[in-house]
Amino acid sequence: MEHKHQVIVVGGGPAGLNAAKYAANAGCEVALLDSATRLGGQYWRNTGNEIEDQATHHDFDQGSLLMDAVTANPRITHYPNTTIWSAAILDDEITLRTQDDVFSTTRLILATGAYDRSLPFPGWDIPGVMTAGAAQSLLKGEGVIAGKRIVVAGSGPFLLPVASGITSHGGKVVGVIEAAGRFAWLPEILTLLQNPTKISEGLGYLLTLRKAKVAMRFKQAVVAAHAGADGLLDSITVANIDAEFRIKSTYSLQCDVAAIGWGFTPDTSLAGALGLKEEVAADGSVVVVVDDNQCATSPQPEVQVFAAGEITGIGGSGLSLAEGAIAGLSAAASRTNLRQLKKLRRRAHRFALTLQRVYSIPAGWQSWLTPETIICRCEEVNYEAIQDVSEKFGADDARSAKLMTRCGMGMCQGRICSRNVADLLNSPDSDRIKGVYRPIIAPITLGELAQDGLL
Amino acid sequence: MNTNADAIVIGAGIIGATTALALTNAGMKVLVIDRGNIASGTTSAGEGNILVSDKAPGPELDLALRSRDAWFEIQEDIGGGFELEAKGGLVVARSESGVVGLRALTSVQRQAGIDAQDVSEADLRALEPHLSHSITDGALYPQDSQCQPMLAAAEILRAVRMRGGEFIAGANVTAINTSNGAVTGVVTSEGTFNAPIIVNATGTWAGQIAELAGSSLPIAPRRGFILVSVPTRKIIFHKVYDAEYVANVSSGEADLQSSAVVEGTQSGTILIGASRERVGFKDGIDFEILRVLARQAIALFPILADIQLLRAYRGFRPYAPDHLPVIGEDPLFKGFWHNAGHEGAGIGLAPASAQLIVDGILGRTSFMDATPFSPTRFTRGEVS
Repeated sequence: MEHKHQVIVVGGGPAGLNAAKYAANAGCEVALLDSATRLGGQYWRNTGNEIEDQATHHDFDQGSLLMDAVTANPRITHYPNTTIWSAAILDDEITLRTQDDVFSTTRLILATGAYDRSLPFPGWDIPGVMTAGAAQSLLKGEGVIAGKRIVVAGSGPFLLPVASGITSHGGKVVGVIEAAGRFAWLPEILTLLQNPTKISEGLGYLLTLRKAKVAMRFKQAVVAAHAGADGLLDSITVANIDAEFRIKSTYSLQCDVAAIGWGFTPDTSLAGALGLKEEVAADGSVVVVVDDNQCATSPQPEVQVFAAGEITGIGGSGLSLAEGAIAGLSAAASRTNLRQLKKLRRRAHRFALTLQRVYSIPAGWQSWLTPETIICRCEEVNYEAIQDVSEKFGADDARSAKLMTRCGMGMCQGRICSRNVADLLNSPDSDRIKGVYRPIIAPITLGELAQDGLL
Repeated sequence: MNTNADAIVIGAGIIGATTALALTNAGMKVLVIDRGNIASGTTSAGEGNILVSDKAPGPELDLALRSRDAWFEIQEDIGGGFELEAKGGLVVARSESGVVGLRALTSVQRQAGIDAQDVSEADLRALEPHLSHSITDGALYPQDSQCQPMLAAAEILRAVRMRGGEFIAGANVTAINTSNGAVTGVVTSEGTFNAPIIVNATGTWAGQIAELAGSSLPIAPRRGFILVSVPTRKIIFHKVYDAEYVANVSSGEADLQSSAVVEGTQSGTILIGASRERVGFKDGIDFEILRVLARQAIALFPILADIQLLRAYRGFRPYAPDHLPVIGEDPLFKGFWHNAGHEGAGIGLAPASAQLIVDGILGRTSFMDATPFSPTRFTRGEVS
């Protein structure tokens, strides 16, 4: 079917929800497209069981109110289970295609969020090693505790809710391993004090972990994983690391699950397919460039595209909510409360930059790799093969590495490895941006493509 | 910068790489330059076809037959590493007229020296079990082969470097110096390089390079899209294509032409082509064309309907008005050689084209008369 809407919002997380709400309240007719069954995004991970959700999320109430407001708004049509596989700007109109439908608009708000960032290390492909987000979604989505002895590791504030969630559901966390220092916050104490809700949230998690006697280890990282006779994760090598993440000393730790998160990577596939201007942020991720009104640079000025939330730079829910609200107002050409919202966004943005500084990931992780370490899991390309490309062929750019080794050409289309390959090859920004260009945003069967009569 | 090269090859695609190897093997010191990196143009936008099946008798077929064997000689020479495989081509006809046309084609192809075998319906099923049951006629071409073209260009250039040649990436040519009707060197973003022989192997962009010297070449882009599936078990065993493809290859129409070309690769993905249209260097993805490609592929292999599309890419074939490559010395400037315009057959035709260039430069008799490919055919008014 063909659907035309005044404003289309893609993404049902904090940014998308607020964008839809603000645009609708300003008088627009809005379609909210989301790939999940229920609103809330990765952040609120709405399972439909409100009591359980409130127990596992510190501010589910806020999310719940926002989701209710969006659902109750007669100007907003929610399209759940809607995965966009292609996007184009044609004849002054933006066209988004899903398996069965074509959506078109002249005002689009992208709030497509982010996914877990993984760093490769020897053994990271052993069953039992997973992202922190995967452990979280097992717990929240399926009610499953990922293992019997769980290590939560990596860097960033997201490790705390993951570990405390597992603990409060009766799971055993044998250690939380944070690469940043225990007092990494000290130089940023002023920003922290301006965000008291963040302090209380963090203290809540720490209290849960302390009660469960979970050890917090700082300036350490999981640098290798080892399988037992059954091929499953049996133990990990933990290293004391220096400020550059180089290994100083190591010890071994038994566990059957290592949930490791190194922050997040913005999902800009849709923005890239539309040809929006992108840049490389301070943390090395590719983000959508937006102006003060969250307006992105569209290749065709007749249509307006806005971007909000993690795709403009990783910043958490507070920043996403503010950006979503501003994007919604801008799409509706309204200025109500715009100044206050921009003030809110400024503060949240400062906090986000502080987080990025405290939990930055220096290049020393590359020293954990051995020649055999898999870099691209889909195509099983190891570190040696990528190094070979520059040594054998004298070509040291990311594109050559991809063409010669197939790294990034598999099922995930480089979503996991392209950022790491760019780091390994010290790629210029232009290569990083090209590396995330994916005209086919999500796989579609050839039969569905052939039948699409709406093109 | 002075590299004292005997010859400079502009372009590090498959044509530039094979030309550099042939020159090196003839004892010359070669410098290869490219504004991008190895295989950054049309070489990385195709399937790696080394075909004899899609050509009617004529000079291009003579070139293709020699080139097909030359690919296996290069594999011997440099030690392979580029997935060269004689997988065989299977051409199928979907209509009465298609069958008649295909039989007529195989008959003249056999006379021209191609191994073209008419295939019965039962044999078709044995060759390709998943082929649509509505297809009853076909022809098998065991000589049809394939390689991984980016790896081929990279491995060949590696051999060139190991044999004394040099490759400089990111060197954008801004001027070609001439003196008394002969080329003397190239000015690039990475410095000026001098040599008495310059080979223009820049494919779709060869006309721009010719203009820098004050000459011209009528080479234009012909856009094509390829669909890539997710990796699957092996369900397609040959390069299978519709007999209409042969007609489309030689068509001069500007509008979109499309005929199914389906094949599996060593990495498990299935590649689906081939569209042709003259729309200049038009960027972006055209979903109308992707749909046509998917439909045509499913018509050949209904099993493909359930397989997921993973990505799509486009490339620009270098296309001359008479569909023949341009191989030979520039009519205006001595020492300025063109090796370009191979359209969609550049991978297959590269080694023999390189041989014609080297033999031309050295004044040797070659395996065939290169006159049909000469760049002078455009100025002589034979081709408009």
